[in-house]
Amino acid sequence: MDRQTILTVGREYGSGGRDIAALLSARLGLKMYDRELLAVIAREMQVDARTLERYDEHRGNRLLYRQVGGFSNSPGDNVARLQFDYLRRLAGEGESFVVVGRCGEEILRDVPGTITVFILADRAFRRERVMAERGVTEAEADVLIGRTDQRRRAYHDRHCTGRWGDARCYDLCVNSARLGIEGTADLLERYILARQAAAPPDHTTA
Amino acid sequence: MLAQITAVIIFLVMFVLIVSGRVERHLVTLGCGLLTLILVFGVCMRSPEAAVETLNLQSIFETEFWYQTGGGETSSAGVNWATILFIAGMMVMVEGMSEAGFFRWLCLALAALVRYRPVPLFFAFMLLSAGLAMFIDSITVIMFLAAVTMELARLLRFDPVPMVLAEIFCANLGGAATMCGDPPNIIIGTSLGYTFFDFLANTGVMAGASMAVIMVYFYLVFRKDLAAAPAAAERHSYPDPRQAIRSRAAFFSSCFIFLMAVFLLVTHAQTGLTVALIGVLIAAVTLIAAGGRTAWKILRRLDYQTAVFFIGLFLVVGGLEQTGVLELLAELIGQWSAGDAMLMAGIVIWVSAGASAFVDNIPFAATMIPVIRGLAAAHGADLPTLAWALTMGADIGGSATPIGASANVVGTAIAAQNGHPISWKRYCLPMVPAAFLVVLLSTAIIYLRYF
Repeated sequence: MDRQTILTVGREYGSGGRDIAALLSARLGLKMYDRELLAVIAREMQVDARTLERYDEHRGNRLLYRQVGGFSNSPGDNVARLQFDYLRRLAGEGESFVVVGRCGEEILRDVPGTITVFILADRAFRRERVMAERGVTEAEADVLIGRTDQRRRAYHDRHCTGRWGDARCYDLCVNSARLGIEGTADLLERYILARQAAAPPDHTTA
Repeated sequence: MLAQITAVIIFLVMFVLIVSGRVERHLVTLGCGLLTLILVFGVCMRSPEAAVETLNLQSIFETEFWYQTGGGETSSAGVNWATILFIAGMMVMVEGMSEAGFFRWLCLALAALVRYRPVPLFFAFMLLSAGLAMFIDSITVIMFLAAVTMELARLLRFDPVPMVLAEIFCANLGGAATMCGDPPNIIIGTSLGYTFFDFLANTGVMAGASMAVIMVYFYLVFRKDLAAAPAAAERHSYPDPRQAIRSRAAFFSSCFIFLMAVFLLVTHAQTGLTVALIGVLIAAVTLIAAGGRTAWKILRRLDYQTAVFFIGLFLVVGGLEQTGVLELLAELIGQWSAGDAMLMAGIVIWVSAGASAFVDNIPFAATMIPVIRGLAAAHGADLPTLAWALTMGADIGGSATPIGASANVVGTAIAAQNGHPISWKRYCLPMVPAAFLVVLLSTAIIYLRYF
């Protein structure tokens, strides 16, 4: 890929956002960062990845942690910050990649070549996918969807000025139930190629 | 009655907002301070005199504010400008020292002195933390010490969390030893007219004895983590302390200014210079020595929010004092203890420790000063004894939880930023017993020495 391209994918639980991101990552030859981002960071910092993973997307209780002069001792906030800093550094080095979640659309907003999408889907579509993937009942799938979306929203809104899933924060919001996983990936691939073609020529290369 | 209720409501709102952390704490105290001026003094009391007395601006123009021939407690309630000026002056000095690379040099030089061996390093950093915190705010001490600990832990491959926790505790303990070690102490000292040596001879003795016990305690608790550290890295990979020094001239001048500050503080009872004047002098010398652009840089980096926080806080506490709420509280404690001075001291130290573990110890101490003054006046309890109990309780209790003191927040935040997030459980398991041990030891010393 000639131009630096960063694709950030926000997603509702069960919408297939991660699968769509993985498809695009493979088709465009971009490295994908999701949960395993922490393992990469832990390896680089020579620390235990499991300790960091425990606080990934951790909301934390405001009453249990404090801020003093820009220092927050909330483990969740610090683990989030480690990931944000790492992604900003990668972007600064001119790398092209796909990132799932991690407030990517906001923290990489100012990097030229960043494309931000949010994948949502109808409740029935999400429920079906969760039931098939997790082997749970309909009621359990609903609980999982509710809980995970709530956790993602809380995490996102704690670190960003924009709201999770708000169309104004993304370049594109797509309902994956309409075209399916493959179809949505096709649509997004065309959009990404169109964006690359429209980008100014002085754009950084990876 | 309405004035009292309003003052209490404003105070409680301030505390809840500070604890919740949703609004910057300086904005909270300033807003609540303004509400106290308008609602309590203006609407409820209709007393401009109370407002003027609480703002306490007139005290700055009195000779005694700058120079005292004999010690004495400040007569007026309200904003403690001496505390604010002293803390601001020390902030300027500390910024100058940081700019010169003094703290990083000191940490690295000490690490080199103990040849980068984890166990001696553990003891050396505990002592350094306590020693520096006796004169410099514990946030700065921990900011540099924890950062160097992280760097050395990566190099020597040991778990830095035990060392950072021990450093935090020792910074809070060292801060308890002197009048300028912790903001509650400077508020207590300036409000009740105590000198540097009054603190050193009383809380200093308690902190010194506690330090000996706590170093052994932390070693026993963390010895397995320290022993697990593999052999040290090659010598050539150690950071060079000399590289920490950004400018030799600035380094030596900051060392001189620091020693001058220590000398002025140690001798302030003899020279008659008040802490307010010492703060202003130290700031002026630091800025003159730094010169033009660096002085401007230091001034821009200053934490003005802390000064605003103190002004607002003193106004709110002034509201409680002027409306007689704190007198009622003192009366209540007097009744609980049935006038027994020993029980009063016990209540003051343990309640202070318990409260400071969860709420900011600065507003707590500022609130408690009029209370212990009231207890001494009404029940004949020895005021200095209550003051030392308050100091030890407020300073040490704060160590027990990750949110109890600012140094704890900064230390645990630096650990987390370096990939070592510390949960409440991991923090409290060694720190709660440590705080309990020190408060118990301090109570025993207070009982044996003053009763």
